[in-house]
Amino acid sequence: MTWRRGYGLAFALAAAIAIAAGVLWRQLVTDALPESPPRDGGTLLALALPDPSGTEQPLGQWKGKVLIVNFWATWCEPCKEEMPRFMKLQNDYGSKGLQFVGIAIDQPDKVRSYAKELGLNYPTLVGGYGAIELSRTLGNQLGALPFTVVLDRAGGVIHTQLGPLKDAQLQAIIKQLV
Amino acid sequence: MVSNPTSAGSATKPRSGERPWRLPGGAAAAALVLAVGAASAQEPKLLPNERAFAFSARGIDDRTVEARFAIADGYYLYREKLRFSAEPGPLGAAILPPGKVKEDQFFGKVETYRNQLIVKLPLEAASPGRPVTVLAESQGCADLGVCYPPQIQKVTLTLPAEGGRPGAPVEASPKKTWFP
Repeated sequence: MTWRRGYGLAFALAAAIAIAAGVLWRQLVTDALPESPPRDGGTLLALALPDPSGTEQPLGQWKGKVLIVNFWATWCEPCKEEMPRFMKLQNDYGSKGLQFVGIAIDQPDKVRSYAKELGLNYPTLVGGYGAIELSRTLGNQLGALPFTVVLDRAGGVIHTQLGPLKDAQLQAIIKQLV
Repeated sequence: MVSNPTSAGSATKPRSGERPWRLPGGAAAAALVLAVGAASAQEPKLLPNERAFAFSARGIDDRTVEARFAIADGYYLYREKLRFSAEPGPLGAAILPPGKVKEDQFFGKVETYRNQLIVKLPLEAASPGRPVTVLAESQGCADLGVCYPPQIQKVTLTLPAEGGRPGAPVEASPKKTWFP
């Protein structure tokens, strides 16, 4: 019987170590976890940022639409990978009141040339590091990209996402809101 | 709120793991291990920028600084985005090892570094025994599908005298500490 007890003890010990490691790991990454976003997208809608040609564009102009604000950059490969999918969704749901708006943490000329190369069918604005700070207040504590905020027609934050949005997931969100 | 258990980080919280208490002995322990693993697999595991790319430097001789990035598993740095400077300067051209080349449809060929990057920085007007501050700007991404904005990290060190032994590495102080 003792060997069985030995095994039991070893398993218990392994479990305890695994749990402790899990707890420690979580503590290490706790400040990386996004908090619940504010329910109100007011700060975002009150924002005005220049487009790549330098004209100030208030985000409030899209209030009343299902607004998907995507923070991105030309130096961010995963950001660029998901943009063609956003373009398709903009194409499919634009007439139903869906509006994608990009906020690029980048230089205007790079944004302009990439938007042209891609044939971007939704507006993108240019924000500096101030825009990253804004995204932090919306739950992007790491200030990393891509970061996407979905607002309903009333301007409420429905979803925030750090990292790429899965197509099926995004479709489900959109269908629920348009 | 739309539920979202996938990808790098969403605002919705994952559900807790399995309930192991009906299983006997070792199986319960194994289930617990699995449950802990599963729960953490659903949560974002992203490190803050300065921990994903931890910078340190040391003086290896009277006119050379050896800079080092300890790059966490699953993260990579772009060679093109690296910038170094020193105060007081100037700094000669940084000696970088070859990175891994990959094709980017927008940038063309890009070189990336993983695990560890060691860079030699020649100090053109070095003064051994006096403090010098080395600044490194870097930009990298995580395989989970996010990129971090460029960050500047700095360390202050002292170069050894001519013929002296290399100094100990000095780590860039992170903004937050793990153990307060």
